[in-house]
Amino acid sequence: MKAVPLRKLVLGIGGLAAFILLWKLVTDAKLVSPVFFPGPERTYVALVKGLSGGPLLSQTFETVKRMLLGWLLASFVGILFGALVGVSKRARAFIAPTLELLRPLPASAMIPVAIAFLGFSDNMVLVVIAFGALWPMLLATVHGFAAMEPRLYEVSEVLGLNRAQVIWKLALPSAMPMILASLRLGLTISLILAVVGEMLASREGLGQSILAASRSFRSADLFAGIVILGAIGLFGSRLLSVAERHLLRWQASSR
Amino acid sequence: MVVTQLSTRPRHGGGHSAPRSGEPRIRIRDVTLAYGPLQIIGGISLDIASGETISVIGPSGCGKTTLLRMLAGLARPTSGGVELDGSVLGGPNRSVAIVFQDYGKALLPWRTAAGNVSLALEARGCPAKERPAIVRDLLEKIGLGQHAAKYPREMSGGMQQRLQIARCLAQEPKVLLMDEPFGALDAMTRQALQDEVLGLVATTGATMVFVTHDLEEAIYLGDRIVCLQPNPGRVGRIVDVSLARPRDQLLTREDPEFLRLRRELYDLIKDDHQ
Ligand SMILES: Nc1ncnc2c1ncn2[C@@H]1O[C@H](COP(=O)(O)OP(=O)(O)OP(=O)(O)O)[C@@H](O)[C@H]1O
Ligand SMILES: [Mg+2]
Repeated sequence: MKAVPLRKLVLGIGGLAAFILLWKLVTDAKLVSPVFFPGPERTYVALVKGLSGGPLLSQTFETVKRMLLGWLLASFVGILFGALVGVSKRARAFIAPTLELLRPLPASAMIPVAIAFLGFSDNMVLVVIAFGALWPMLLATVHGFAAMEPRLYEVSEVLGLNRAQVIWKLALPSAMPMILASLRLGLTISLILAVVGEMLASREGLGQSILAASRSFRSADLFAGIVILGAIGLFGSRLLSVAERHLLRWQASSR
Repeated sequence: MVVTQLSTRPRHGGGHSAPRSGEPRIRIRDVTLAYGPLQIIGGISLDIASGETISVIGPSGCGKTTLLRMLAGLARPTSGGVELDGSVLGGPNRSVAIVFQDYGKALLPWRTAAGNVSLALEARGCPAKERPAIVRDLLEKIGLGQHAAKYPREMSGGMQQRLQIARCLAQEPKVLLMDEPFGALDAMTRQALQDEVLGLVATTGATMVFVTHDLEEAIYLGDRIVCLQPNPGRVGRIVDVSLARPRDQLLTREDPEFLRLRRELYDLIKDDHQ
């Protein structure tokens, strides 16, 4: 039972080591000018310097804060609105075509609109993040609610559950696997849009720091920022999988 | 070993205190049901007295499940109607419980056995403090006392079916509709549960409609046996069962009357299949 996760961990670390080695080989061979493409050692030095005393720590904090705020906002609106639409057939029929129209819009298309309304502000970035991360959660909730086993709905009628109980005790748990998957996707989108938003609106954070480093040819700082972004993504997704495993432990035996 | 286990089971007392006369608990009035042009149920009428147990048999696809769904208020008759205690049944009703044939879909996979039973208590506003004791008691009764913390996925088909029965009992229904509930059980467990259900019906005075493919089960449980015929589903014969209650797995099944009924039903079914 325990051996499998350990082996997975060892394999994962091995893969990472191989990747770093490859990176080192490519840079040592000078296939790309070191001005643009630093090796792992220089990146590591920049990372340590930036995190201890340098600006990287506070920039990381800003970006994570932005990402989480936007993600939470999107989750809240997405799940709440998705539930409202999902419970009623009529609401679904009414709103679904509009959602399908809005959904394929790239979040970046919203950026000029957000700028027009909110200017180059923190709130603008937040709105862009929330808007982009909203869709997967909204649609997963709507579809998760709609996909509830019809027999369970009959059970609720026979037992005499009221509407709130049906939503809370039947529809939401049965939509939970889909919602959790969308929360994970939404977190990735939030991170991407936080970085893009910071670059565009020059708000403090890793996005802005990466852009500044690239403009002044500080490639090691640029890569240090990218490594941190990767780590944030990895950490967030791992955290969510732990939550997922706990919340979906009732399916564990079938997986 | 088998014999002692069966014969030492407590006998179920009471029998039928509820009068057969007076207003029926359920009145089925010339009910028909059609899906589009397809006539599924073609005119069934039946009065079921309070406390009575009706067994329903009939070939696969003759409309047994459909009939039960109409009694539960889950399917609306195309014409005719179902009355519960003299008033028309407009939809599902907490006092009519149903054990579904497809047990796998009727349970909440994200709740444990205890949680699934508890749902019925939550629905009728039972205080949270009282729930665990009631749940434990019901699971114990139905032989799942050791499995309260298991999820449906971790339970066998028979265990899931018993869990469904426990949840129905938590509803404290006046009418218990059962759709082949013991199909997934081995013979011994099946007989033990037959007695358990008979005992519960006797002590609660519930009315039961029990669908089964098993002729002996139909006789053992029922006060009357309704034999349905297919295309469209209708009542072929109603057979009275005059076996004494409480019934006993060995004595009742050896009773000449039991054997005679089995013969009679067998001949009936055989005719239907020709
Ligand atoms: N939703 C539906 N739409 C159309 N036809 C249906 C529907 N549900 C059931 N039927 C048909 O109604 C008939 C009766 O079905 P029902 O499930 O009541 O049979 P049953 O007697 O319970 O069979 P079994 O013993 O196999 O469970 C069948 O011929 C079936 O094909
Ligand atoms: Mg059936």
